[in-house]
Amino acid sequence: MDNFSESINYYGHKPEEQVEDREKKLRPTERANNARELYFSAKSSISMEFPYWYTRRWEELEGDVTIIRRAESLKAGFEHLTPVIYPGELLTMGKACYLRGSYPMPWLSEAFFMAAEDKLYKEALESGKLTADTFTTVGKGGGNVTKSVGNVISIAGKFGLRVEEMPVMLEVAKKWKDRSVDDIGHKYEQLVPGYKEKEAIMRSVICMFDSGYTLPQGREVINYYYPLQYGIDGIISICEEGMNEVAGYPEMDRLYFYKSVIIMLQGIRSWIRNYAAEARFMASIEQDEKQKSEYLEMGLRLDHISSNPPRDFHDALQLLWIFHVGVLNEDAISGLSPGRVGQVLYPFWKRDMDKGFMDREKTIELLECMRIKFTEIDCFASMGVVGGVLSGNTFNNLCIGGLKKDGTSAANELEMLILETGISCETPQPTLSVLYDEKSPEEFLLKGIECTKAGAGYPAWVNNQVAMEFLLNNYGHEGMQLEEARAWAIGGCLESSPGSWMPLNLDGEIHWIPGGSAPATSVGVHFLSLPKILETVIFDGMDMRSGERIFPSHGYKLETFEELWQGFQDYFSRAVHVLTLTNNIQHDAWRKISPSLVNSMLKPDCLEVGRDIGQQGSRFNTTFNVESCGNTTLVNSLASLKKNVYEEKNFSLEAYRKAILENFGYHTAQETGSYSLVDQKPAEHYSEYRKIHRMSLDAPKFGNDDPYVDSIFKLWEDWFCEMTHNYRSLYDQPMYACQISVSTHGPMGAVTLATPDGRLSGTTFSDGSVSAYPGTDKHGPYALFSSATCWNHSQSQNSQLNMKIHPSVVKGREGSRKFLELIRAYMRKGGFHVQFNIVDSRMLKQAQEDPDKFRSLLVRVAGFTQYWVELGKQIQDEVIARTEYEEL
Amino acid sequence: MNTCTDCKFYLPVDVFKGICKLSKKDILPGDLFCEKAERSPKCKFCSKFTPEKEFLGKCMAITLAYPDMNAASCVDFEWISQN
Repeated sequence: MDNFSESINYYGHKPEEQVEDREKKLRPTERANNARELYFSAKSSISMEFPYWYTRRWEELEGDVTIIRRAESLKAGFEHLTPVIYPGELLTMGKACYLRGSYPMPWLSEAFFMAAEDKLYKEALESGKLTADTFTTVGKGGGNVTKSVGNVISIAGKFGLRVEEMPVMLEVAKKWKDRSVDDIGHKYEQLVPGYKEKEAIMRSVICMFDSGYTLPQGREVINYYYPLQYGIDGIISICEEGMNEVAGYPEMDRLYFYKSVIIMLQGIRSWIRNYAAEARFMASIEQDEKQKSEYLEMGLRLDHISSNPPRDFHDALQLLWIFHVGVLNEDAISGLSPGRVGQVLYPFWKRDMDKGFMDREKTIELLECMRIKFTEIDCFASMGVVGGVLSGNTFNNLCIGGLKKDGTSAANELEMLILETGISCETPQPTLSVLYDEKSPEEFLLKGIECTKAGAGYPAWVNNQVAMEFLLNNYGHEGMQLEEARAWAIGGCLESSPGSWMPLNLDGEIHWIPGGSAPATSVGVHFLSLPKILETVIFDGMDMRSGERIFPSHGYKLETFEELWQGFQDYFSRAVHVLTLTNNIQHDAWRKISPSLVNSMLKPDCLEVGRDIGQQGSRFNTTFNVESCGNTTLVNSLASLKKNVYEEKNFSLEAYRKAILENFGYHTAQETGSYSLVDQKPAEHYSEYRKIHRMSLDAPKFGNDDPYVDSIFKLWEDWFCEMTHNYRSLYDQPMYACQISVSTHGPMGAVTLATPDGRLSGTTFSDGSVSAYPGTDKHGPYALFSSATCWNHSQSQNSQLNMKIHPSVVKGREGSRKFLELIRAYMRKGGFHVQFNIVDSRMLKQAQEDPDKFRSLLVRVAGFTQYWVELGKQIQDEVIARTEYEEL
Repeated sequence: MNTCTDCKFYLPVDVFKGICKLSKKDILPGDLFCEKAERSPKCKFCSKFTPEKEFLGKCMAITLAYPDMNAASCVDFEWISQN
């Protein structure tokens, strides 16, 4: 094992003893363990039931009002889904008829899953929509179907489709040609002046993907209030009353909206009842009395909640899950976060506990079952999206802690059990985030520490006050005040999302429960590669990898650092400008062709005002952003050029151009097969570039409390966070900055040449947004914290700091205290987010060499936890390369 | 030749395998019918389905359909007479 440690970055001593496992080990209940074993055996699978019936109904209603067609199509999809109930389940229902089931949604986009020789596919490739796919690696193990085998066809390197369904998939997809959101959006985005520049930007992977048709919803917090309070029949009654009030009056769209919600709910009701019937069928053939009784109970429960509000905690949890899946089935969605579930369900749970209907053991079993169900969620999308951005994850973030409506701590006993089951039943979903507040009880925080130490990468630690400040700054003009800001939660992996307090009436007592009250809070300009933009500045607008001109000549001689910085601002602004306009058109196509109904029905105040979320029916609508990738790589590169070219004049910019093109005399990452800097191999002419490479690596690096480079970081942040407000979203609201890398630092690094900080061609960028580049943070965690907080984090929707700590460093109760103090120190300095891998990096190396032995190993990437074997190699190499802290 | 995916006791886990609802054993989609197997409603067992190309056909002579689609919740499904 010792040879592994040679290629790992350490802070502190190198571990010499055997590879150390994580500290806390709890076993899941037998029921959850069986379900998880079944999950481990299951492959990602797609079926055509839903898209077939959706498309069939859509065609039948040619000429009808679009939102009605949409509702009828969704209804047809829901009511024809084959119910499948797995033995031992306490919570049931899923996206499709497989355990990890999903399906294509050709009404959004149909080109990427066509055969490579198909004309549609070639057109998509030409327009730059699929370039990111080409440079993405998808995990080779776990549940991914990476290649076609026998009667199963692999799609996007992850999903399996039975050969019997392939012809109908192609036929259905072709029916959406020139009708899908993708195609209609593309048709009209070309009207934007400078559109060709947008295509060049996409081909160069300066921008990762269009959000309008890939993942038009998500990165938001769902709201379960209406089903929990009114039940399906109650919501239908609200809609019927709404129709009576608006029929025939101006603003007639309200009439169609209410009617559409009713139609959609009828579909969901049939879907639930089909499951109830299946539960009774399963009971009828079951020999085991306990299992038979559980099936019968499940059938009764489903029948009840197909119409009525929940009677108890179990009903409420099942209904919550149904609507979660319901939303996921209307669009391709990542990051539909359940939000503060422990607070939403608390009134039901407490009442059951008080009456003796529920106990700790039953609660744990149910919460573990919930973890398994959320982990089963898959999102069918292109390889670039599912691999290059999501790493196969779907980002269902469950938040705990924070504050109540009245400003007191919101942490409760149910959330303690949510943390407990996060330890006992380690799964990627739902990931957990602690909304850290100075008012959070110590016992609660220490339970969070216990869970983080268990090593699954959650909970992440998020600063409640910083998020509230961001939300008040950006949603204040829409009426948000302090009390409502407290209802926020994380949407997706790390997007601060507005919430509202809803009055749940249970037995005559009002409980104010939090829930999301805005649509997707992260759509717009999705992932701009900062190092790649700097590359085009250095080469006067050219992408030197492809030889294509991306931007017109900037006209600067780049003789000063100020000119270089100006050139960067110019190109970055050009990219944001054209991408904002084209994405606005794509999202306009989405809301016109494929309006949200399930999610709209759930979000306050859509039912009150009779408008869907695309028509700004939500309470808050300032939800578009500009996302960055590679912050630290950019800033380190600027620092290197400032020092080596402009101040000390060690090298000319021309010398840097040559060194970048020659990759500092190294082989590329694609040639070495590793995407980590430490594994790169010198080529024959390395000695020519040894000096410039050494001095680039030795230039000041972010993460060491060094004002030289931290001041450049602040320069970037202050400018970026402010400039985004100059761009207007589809809803005519100012945009804001969002800074998470998710997995994009892998594929975006893959297409970027060497950078002036000494990073080599094709290797990953720095992860997160305020993480140090692997191995360059040499002065300990507190120096890293000082660098990371050199700017005000509430200017941005988020910041992201990823750290890796050896398990021995936080061992025992003393280690827990020390660990909490570390996190507290960062929060008190104004840090927004920090998350940890508590792992011995040598174990990760071992897992890379022998993945079959590590099927259940979980790691934290950038805002999400994922099974190691389902990560692409780019991200695996990057996680290994992160600095491992051997002391705090 | 009927296979396990045509059986009403087939519980699909993924595209490669399933579980027999009766025996609780793992089974493969291509396994042949056992003595306890019963047909599940599918388009290919419906009198209103007309096969055309491989894995494609028409529903009620007009609408695109495919033989292996589950038709348990289709209101127009009618069993073809079994030989």
